[in-house]
Amino acid sequence: MKTSLIIKKDVRKNWFAYMLAVPVIAWFAIFCYGPMWGLLIAFKDFKPLLGFANSDWVGLKHFIDFFEGPYFWRVVKNTLLLNVWGLAFGFTAPIILALMLNEVRDGKFKKLVQTITYMPHFISLVVVCGMIHIFTEDEGVVTQLLQLITGKDYTSLLGYSSFFRPIYTFSDIWQTIGWSSIIYLAAMSSIDSTLYEAADIDGIGRLGKMWHITLPQISPVIVILFIFAVGGIMASSYEKIILLYNPLTYDKADVIASYVYRRGLREASLSYSTAVGLVSSLVNFALLWVTNKIASRKSDVSLW
Amino acid sequence: MGKMKNRLLNLLLVSAMSVSVLAACSNNNDPKESSEPAATESSDNGTTTETAAFSDISQTIRGNKTPTQEQMDEVNNTMNDTYLGDLYDEKIPSHYEAYPFKKDVTLDVWLPADSNIPDMNNQVVQKQVEKLTGIKVNFITPPVGQEADAFTLMISSGELPDIIIEPERYPGGMEAGLKDGAYLDLTDLMEKNAPNYSEWRNSDETRRKTTVTDSGKLLGFYGIAPYSEWMWFGMLIKKEALEKTGLEIPTTMDEWHAFLTKAKEVGYSEPLNYGSTYGQVFTGIINGAFGVWDWTFMDADGKVQWGPAQPKAKDYLTTMQQWNKEGLLNRDWATADFNQRMASAISNKTAVMMDSPDTMWSYWKQQNNIDFVGALNPVLNAGDKAATTYKNFKRTGRSAAITTQADDVEAAMAWLDFAYSKKGWEILNYGEYGKTHLVDDSGKPYFQPESNIYKDPDGQPVATTLVKYRMHSWPDIRDEHNSNPLIVAEGSYSGDIRKYWTENMDTSVAMPPITFTQDEASREAELGNQLSTLRGEYFAKIISGQLPVSAYDKFLSEAKNMGLDEFLSIHQAALDRYNQR
Repeated sequence: MKTSLIIKKDVRKNWFAYMLAVPVIAWFAIFCYGPMWGLLIAFKDFKPLLGFANSDWVGLKHFIDFFEGPYFWRVVKNTLLLNVWGLAFGFTAPIILALMLNEVRDGKFKKLVQTITYMPHFISLVVVCGMIHIFTEDEGVVTQLLQLITGKDYTSLLGYSSFFRPIYTFSDIWQTIGWSSIIYLAAMSSIDSTLYEAADIDGIGRLGKMWHITLPQISPVIVILFIFAVGGIMASSYEKIILLYNPLTYDKADVIASYVYRRGLREASLSYSTAVGLVSSLVNFALLWVTNKIASRKSDVSLW
Repeated sequence: MGKMKNRLLNLLLVSAMSVSVLAACSNNNDPKESSEPAATESSDNGTTTETAAFSDISQTIRGNKTPTQEQMDEVNNTMNDTYLGDLYDEKIPSHYEAYPFKKDVTLDVWLPADSNIPDMNNQVVQKQVEKLTGIKVNFITPPVGQEADAFTLMISSGELPDIIIEPERYPGGMEAGLKDGAYLDLTDLMEKNAPNYSEWRNSDETRRKTTVTDSGKLLGFYGIAPYSEWMWFGMLIKKEALEKTGLEIPTTMDEWHAFLTKAKEVGYSEPLNYGSTYGQVFTGIINGAFGVWDWTFMDADGKVQWGPAQPKAKDYLTTMQQWNKEGLLNRDWATADFNQRMASAISNKTAVMMDSPDTMWSYWKQQNNIDFVGALNPVLNAGDKAATTYKNFKRTGRSAAITTQADDVEAAMAWLDFAYSKKGWEILNYGEYGKTHLVDDSGKPYFQPESNIYKDPDGQPVATTLVKYRMHSWPDIRDEHNSNPLIVAEGSYSGDIRKYWTENMDTSVAMPPITFTQDEASREAELGNQLSTLRGEYFAKIISGQLPVSAYDKFLSEAKNMGLDEFLSIHQAALDRYNQR
C-alpha cells in the first residue's frame, strides 16, 4: 500500500522522465524479451509451416545429439581457443595503442594515426575477408613476406590449419584496434593531471608514469570490458569464419557459431541450432557471472 | 572537473555496452527481397483469343530467313505452332485451351536467379510467356550466393509464394515439404490442370519413373529432357600442350603422369588444375579410375556403395599426394574459387582443366582463342573402359512446386504447364522468333548468325546471352543439344566432346534419382553432411601432405562411427523403392 503510493507520487512528479524511458523499455520487451519464448523450440521438432503448436515435443533430444555428436569437442575447443587468442592479443592491442597515443604530444601525428587505425572499422566484413584472401594467396604479400622470413615454400596460407588462428586474430586486430582504443583514450583523458605533476616532482620517468598512474587509473574500464569479453567467449561471429575457412582448416576453424549456421540456416534444423545456441548462451552467462564475482572480490569493480 | 569527466566516461561506457547489446538483439537481418512489382504493362495481351484450329503457316515460316514484322507477330504473339516440326521420338503436346487465362492473376514465384540476370521480371522470354498465357508473374529472387540461407529464412517466416522453383531445397526433399505443409500434392490435379505436362511425362517410361515419388505422388513439375543429355564434365586438354609435349591424349594413370610431367618440363608450371568449383577435389574423374567415386554409386551387384570407403582409396591418395609433391597440380587447388580457377586456366601455367566443355569453350576458345580436346576419364590399366557416375535420366533443368499458400492453384499449374507445350518448348529454348531464332525447312528452330544470342546489342558474351534471351535451366522440355548456344555456335566443338564422352564411358555405376521418405531424409541429410565434411577434410589434408596416407584408416573408422552403414542402408532402401516404381 505504502510503496505503491510512493511510486504513484514519484510518477506524477517525474512523469516526463518516465515517458522518456517508455520507448526503450518497450524496445527491450518487444525485441529482446519477447522472442525468448521461442527458446522453447529447442525442445521441439519445430516445423515453421506446421506452426509451434503442431510441431512435436522431443524433450532434450537436440541437446543430447549435440553433446554426443562427432564434432562437439572440436567446435567447443575451437571456439574457446579462438577467443583465448582474441583475449590475449585482440584485447590487449587497443590498450597498448591507447597508451602509446597518450604519450604522443604532436597533435597532428596523433590524429593521423588515429584516423588510419579507425578506417578498417568502416570496411564491410566481406571486403575485409576478400582482402585477407588476396594478401594470403599463393602470391600474396603476406605469403611472400613469410617465405622471405622463414625461407620455406608456402602456398595459400588459408590452406594451412595452423595459420588459421593467427590470420583470424591479427586481421581482427587490424580491423578493430583503432576503434576499440577510443574508450581507453577517453578514460585516460579523465585522469587527474595533478597525479602526473606529483610524479614529475618525484622524478618518475615516462614508463613509470604509464605503469604507476595511467594503467591503474584506467583499470576499472579494462576490468569491465574484460568481463564483457569473457562473457562472449563462447560466442564468435560466424560470418568471418565461413568467409575464411575451407576443408583444410576445419579442424581449427569450425566453431560453434559456424556449426549452428550450417545446421540452422543451411540444413534448416531450427530446433537443433536453437538448442546449441541456448547451451552456448548459458555457458557465456555462467562465465560472465564467475568473472564478475572474481573481479568484484579482487578489485571491487563489477557489473552488478 | 575530474568528476565531470568521470561521468562522461561512465556515459561512454554505458553507451558502448548498450550498443553491443543492441547489436546482439537486432540480428534479424532480413535479406533484401527484390519484390519489385512486375513492370506495369498496359498491353492487354494483344493476342488473338480464338483457340480454335490455327491456319497452317508452315509454308511461310519454315525456311524463311527474312520474316516480316507481321509474320514475327503471328509467331510471337499467338499460340499457332503449325510451323514447328516433330523432332523427337515422342510428340510434344499442344494443349492451349487454358490460354489466355480466364482470370487476371499475378503469381509470386521464388527463384534463384542467374547472376547475369539480376531482374528476372524483365527477362525477354518471361515477358513473352506472360503475354501468351495471360498470367502475370512476380519473381522473388534471393541475392546471388545466398540462396540457401534465403530459402530457409523464407520457410521459417511461414510466408510462401505461389510457386517455388528448386523446391527440392526443402530440408528432407519435396516429400518432407509435403508433410510439413509447404507443398501441394498435385497427383489428382495434374491430368485436368496440366494436360501438356501429364502427356509429356507419360510419353516415356524413364520420364514417368523419375517424376513420381516412391509412394506414387506427383509433387511438382520437373524439367524433362526429350533425350538423355550428354555428360557435361570431364578432362579437357589444351591442344597446344599436346603439340608441345608431342604426346598422345593420355588414357591410363601412368600415361597421365607421364603427360603432366612432360607438360611441366615444357613450361606449364602447374599443369593440372585440380579440384573443381562443383566440389573441391571431388570430380569423379581421377578418383573414379580407382573406383573411389565421389559419393554413392552402384556396384556390379546393384548395391549402393560409398566411394571414399572403397579398397583402392589409399592408392588414389598416394598417387595424388605424389602428384601434388611433384608440382603437377595447381598450388591453390584447395582454396581457389571459380574466378581464380578460370584465371589460371587461361594462363600459361595450366595445361589441363577438369570442367564443362561448354564453359571452357567460352573461356578458352571464344574469349582467348585457346583450342582444346576432351579426354576420357583415366583408367588404371590399358584396355579398361573409362567410367563415370554422371548419367542423365532424362531429368534436367529445374523443378517447380506449388505451395500450400498459392491463391490460384489452377493458374499456377496453367503457367507451369505452358512450358511443356510445343509453343512453350520453342520460346523457352529458342527465345523470340525473328530476333533470336528462325525456323528451318524441317520445322526446327535455330539461332541464325545474326541472332542476338551471338550478336548481343549490349555486347555481352554467349555465356550471358544464353540466359538473357532464352531459359537455360527451367522446369520445361529442355532441348540442350540443339538449343544450348555454346554447343550449337558456329565452330563450337563442346557438344562433340560431350557426345564423345557419353558414348565412350561406362555409366553402370551411376545412381538414378532416388528419393527419401521424410524420416529417412532428415537422418540422411545429417549423416550426409557429417560424412561430407569428414571426407573433404581428410582427403584434402592427405593430398596436400599435411597428413600421411595412413591417416586414411582413421578416416574410415571415424566414418563408420558416424554411421556410414546406416547411411548406406537408407540409400539402399530408397534405391529398392525406386526400382519398384
